[in-house]
Amino acid sequence: MTSVPLVSVFSADDSTKVTAKHIPLPAVFQTPIRPDIVSFVHTNIAKNRRQAHAVNPQAGMQHSAESWGTGRAVARIPRVSGSGTHRSGQAAFGNQCRKGRMSLPIKVWRRWHRRVNIKQKRHAAATAVAATGIVPLVLARGHRISQVPQIPLVVEDKIESYEKTTDALNFLKRFGAFEDVQKVVSTKVVRAGISKQRGKKYRVRKGPLVVYFNENAKLLKAFRNVPGVEVVNVTRLNLLQLAPGGQLGRFVIWTQSAFAHLDKLFGTYRYASVLKDGYQLLRPLLTNPDLARIINSNQVQEKVQPAKTTKVLHEVQKKNPLKNTKAMDRLNPYAKKQRAAATAAIKANTKGTKKIKKNKALKKASRAAFNKVSAALNDATKAAVQEEQDIKVKYFSVQKGAAQAE
Amino acid sequence: MSQKKPQMQVEQKVPENIVKKNARDTKLREAVAKRRTERLAANKTRRAQWEKNAQAYDNEYKAADKSLVDSLRKAKSEGGFYVPAESKLILVVRIRGINTLNPQVRQTLRLLKLRQLHNAAFVRVNKATIEMIRKVEPYVTYGYPSRAVIKNLIYKRGYAKINGQRIPLTNNNIIEQQLGKVGIHSIEDLVHEIVTVGAHFKEANRFLWAFKLRGPRGGFIAKRRSFINQGDWGNREDLINDLVKRMI
Repeated sequence: MTSVPLVSVFSADDSTKVTAKHIPLPAVFQTPIRPDIVSFVHTNIAKNRRQAHAVNPQAGMQHSAESWGTGRAVARIPRVSGSGTHRSGQAAFGNQCRKGRMSLPIKVWRRWHRRVNIKQKRHAAATAVAATGIVPLVLARGHRISQVPQIPLVVEDKIESYEKTTDALNFLKRFGAFEDVQKVVSTKVVRAGISKQRGKKYRVRKGPLVVYFNENAKLLKAFRNVPGVEVVNVTRLNLLQLAPGGQLGRFVIWTQSAFAHLDKLFGTYRYASVLKDGYQLLRPLLTNPDLARIINSNQVQEKVQPAKTTKVLHEVQKKNPLKNTKAMDRLNPYAKKQRAAATAAIKANTKGTKKIKKNKALKKASRAAFNKVSAALNDATKAAVQEEQDIKVKYFSVQKGAAQAE
Repeated sequence: MSQKKPQMQVEQKVPENIVKKNARDTKLREAVAKRRTERLAANKTRRAQWEKNAQAYDNEYKAADKSLVDSLRKAKSEGGFYVPAESKLILVVRIRGINTLNPQVRQTLRLLKLRQLHNAAFVRVNKATIEMIRKVEPYVTYGYPSRAVIKNLIYKRGYAKINGQRIPLTNNNIIEQQLGKVGIHSIEDLVHEIVTVGAHFKEANRFLWAFKLRGPRGGFIAKRRSFINQGDWGNREDLINDLVKRMI
């Protein structure tokens, strides 16, 4: 890549004035965005500020309770000894018991902190910094940056000498960052849950993060009282601030010297980092992310097979051909003719019967024909019955003759 | 690489990849159109052939019916008898479920494609199949299907076994692809092969998945008894048609 993305440095007093044009973007902003690394590192690092707590080891156990054993029609749970009070004979000690100790009581030697490999932590920080330069990510995180002139926002070092909060506020207003601060103010809510009684009364959102470089900068005090704004030195960039909640894309305001220091901090793709010993920025999986160009290149198109049809046999809905004429005709073109022939035959038949009904002579003739056939049938039946009777008579007479003979 | 604004004298420059893509797309489109016209022309001739075949079969069936009637009449007029040839085809319907089956019976039913209650399948009649059916007689009812029943089964409940999948017979391409090489190109060809138990009955029957019928409207009489004993299982000859019509 011959071209390098460029960034302008804005004057602290006037957001329209640019004090330095076309500063190249530090290589950190080119690192691949790896939300998986950030998520992993964040979940572990977030545990490191925890303070140990535990339940009282004696809680629920300060009885001389003993099980009554079997044979007394009660459960075998340890029961409080003694008498003269309701408490005596009640169940004790178990996690299921009222006033019993909890199961697996929390101990102070619980492993509160997590260690993460340094390289992973560094990669996470680099990715988080890169994400602060991507507008959709910052917007997605929820920052109100529509009036901000540039992302990443780099301002001249003058803001490091701000002492008054009014200066800080006016600066934020000038650069369209005040909308983000207003968001923080207007969405401050009383926290749900018990922790409001334990010193965490309000839930406050995160606003802009101001990153400075010079150690004796006074801007910390100026920005301290602005709700939502955090101030941090560039040498101590914190993942918990760059990607709060593990979510990439914090809105960051850099001072010029802080911005310039990033190359020394994280290194570039040509040189390893100076300040992080032996650290080299993460390399992307794809060197050429222009997928359209890759797909349409000659090398790929030569090998490509023609597109397959996506129609799957079993996805076609079956229509009953015996009821659905279209389905029938699709399967059997002759069916159309058969149907036509059938309807014609029905029509011819109805015409015939209508004719007969209309024409009395025809009716008479058909009646006569019917009578003739039924008469013939009657004669035939009579003859058959007579024949059967004759056979029977013959048989019985033969039997009689035989009996008489005996 | 971006497109320059069109100017008076200078020609527009189109990026190379777009030129290539257009060329490729037009080629593909032409190929598709060509294949379509070829396919439509081929379909036309195929459909004409299907119609011709179907008509020929229709005439064949009518002729067969007529010859049967003529033979019966002739025999009667001569005072003798005409016994039509025994059916070469049996339709077997499973009337018992899957529980507590003798393993040999279970296996034989599987071989006859009757894996489920109310499954029906065509079976050619020969010594081997008669023995198989005898083995499973109390669990099936069978008989000689009429042409209309065969046709209705294949049209309404006809599914093919393709790559182990049960594919509905929605068009003749399915039949052509699988059975074209044995001379069965359309559904009427398939019906004819089954009805007449032709030379490629084996392929045709294997192509068909077992017919999954519904329970008979009006019910069975008594599945615990044989048909002869006022029940349901066993050979019911031509009366299988009445049963299957209630089950289709």
